[in-house]
Amino acid sequence: MVPLENYLVLSGIIFSLGVYGVLARRNAVLVLMSIELMLNAVSLNFVAFAAYLDPDLITGVIVAIFVIAVAAAEVGLALAIVIRLFRNRSTANVDEAATLRW
Amino acid sequence: MTTEILWWIFAAAIVGTSAGVVLSGTVIHSAIFLILSLAGVGTMYLFLTIEFVALVQFLIYGGAVTVLILLALMLTRMGIGGRPEPVTGVQAPFGALVAGALMATLIGVAVSTAWPGDIGDSPAEVKIEQIGEILFQDFGAPFIILSALLLVAFIGAIVIARQEDGD
Repeated sequence: MVPLENYLVLSGIIFSLGVYGVLARRNAVLVLMSIELMLNAVSLNFVAFAAYLDPDLITGVIVAIFVIAVAAAEVGLALAIVIRLFRNRSTANVDEAATLRW
Repeated sequence: MTTEILWWIFAAAIVGTSAGVVLSGTVIHSAIFLILSLAGVGTMYLFLTIEFVALVQFLIYGGAVTVLILLALMLTRMGIGGRPEPVTGVQAPFGALVAGALMATLIGVAVSTAWPGDIGDSPAEVKIEQIGEILFQDFGAPFIILSALLLVAFIGAIVIARQEDGD
């Protein structure tokens, strides 16, 4: 059977790829997709810990469900902002939407 | 043994598709890679025998979220009539450095730590009734707050994305 470490290493790799996407890519929707990758890595981590270390209370499973729900809300709101930005500025590049940066 | 081989195949597929999301030059390809990656994480939940979260993952992430992202991509296409879109910004090397350091740290910590209480051969089976009881009894208040959060977020999304008369 697959040990717990394998899941942790896998989710660490996914999380790091998401971090790279957020830092390097400039398309707002792609930044959002990278954030989705990071959230997925986190909930995979939670579920793996719940399944291996805490089989009675399964708090990690509940946290994973909450993460999925919050991610759905976040995606809806963020995509609305991206669409609004594109309508007003004709760009989805996060470097060009820097008005609020000091 | 079969499970292990399947696990490694799916893990490799998840890493490959996740790399495709952040490295692919075409945003639509990234979105399709994202669908595959999210489905792969769903199969990981199946390997952990937590079917409910796997179902939720397939339905909400694989279905709803990716459709939303694809829709937003099609509404905000750059580089068709206007400027071509750069794949990465000037900070890409630093991003790679930070992500590489983070990956090395996470893998090192995960491998070198002795985790207590490893149940070894078979992950415990989590009944869907058990999840429901804990979700509605122990986590009742957070669940209600979460529903309110979803409602407020989607009303806000409608208000922000709405076409106003002055535009």
